[in-house]
Amino acid sequence: MCILPADSPDTTNSNGSRVMREIDLFSMREEFQRHDIRLCFNGPISRSLVEEIGNALKKYLESADAPPGAVMDIFGVYVEMTQNIRHYAGRQGFSDDESSTTVIVARDDDTGHYLVEACNLVKRDDGNALLERVRELAAMDQGQLKKAFKTQLRAPRDEEANTGAGLGLIDIARRSAEPLSAQLKDVADDRQLFSLRAVI
Amino acid sequence: MTANCSACVPSSDMATAAQAEGVEMQTLQREKSQSTPEVHADPQAGRLAMAGDSYPENSYEFFHEIVTWVETYLRDTDQPLHLELRLAYLNTSSVRAMLDIFDLLQAAHEEGQGVSVDWLYHPRNERVADLAEEFREDCTFPFEIKPDQPE
Repeated sequence: MCILPADSPDTTNSNGSRVMREIDLFSMREEFQRHDIRLCFNGPISRSLVEEIGNALKKYLESADAPPGAVMDIFGVYVEMTQNIRHYAGRQGFSDDESSTTVIVARDDDTGHYLVEACNLVKRDDGNALLERVRELAAMDQGQLKKAFKTQLRAPRDEEANTGAGLGLIDIARRSAEPLSAQLKDVADDRQLFSLRAVI
Repeated sequence: MTANCSACVPSSDMATAAQAEGVEMQTLQREKSQSTPEVHADPQAGRLAMAGDSYPENSYEFFHEIVTWVETYLRDTDQPLHLELRLAYLNTSSVRAMLDIFDLLQAAHEEGQGVSVDWLYHPRNERVADLAEEFREDCTFPFEIKPDQPE
């Protein structure tokens, strides 16, 4: 399943001409298949899309006979990643273009594990802080992660408390079978692309 | 706790319709949606039931009236309150909201009010039991976690 919103900048010609640019769908398809990508999304993701895609993901995993605990972990990681991105983009006042999100869910047939990875635009300082936080969480064992979760849960809530900020990342780490990993890529002086990878 | 008295008018604007014994509180009923659970709060029965997944983007918006209902009930009556939960998945902001509810129950319990929780889970989904167990660790009132028996 792959969803590109109809108004995605990638599907329209930037110079306003009616001639659509050529997209090599065959090679995109090969790429998806080579990596066993079962679901992908690229574009601004709305609140209802988070839910609709999540629902489709859950149904797909259930039909693929994934154990109920695994379905919940994969679904949970997807929800926290996408809601974190939406809260962040909302707080920054990002435009639709800047809020564009890439999410993939892939399966590794050799290990039976699933990969959930999401990528979004962040301010440079935030990107570096996120990377540092992911490294801290990756170094923790389950006991330490549980403690960090409970501490964060009891931490004073600021004005933006309804985001559950900070908790989401720990929750993702707790549901992961391998340590979390993240990458940054420069795209402009003050902007970076942040990608977060969880193996479940 | 303040004693039962029909003259007590809770400050919450929801407290007008139903008239239980000495308690004036409304029943709270919310249908299940894709990202929010079914909710049924019955002041006469002293029971709050929630069932389904909970991952609204704005959990404050959704949980505010439930937390307020629990707070008002515990403040305005000395009747017991029982929670029957069949919550399967909670996003982290829903976890925070549930913690608020359990904190209210714990405080009422410490004041001597009868509160209890049954958290029922699908027998094949042990993740739910783990989550419920983490909530229970911080509570000293009766809190049961058990597999749901299909009827």
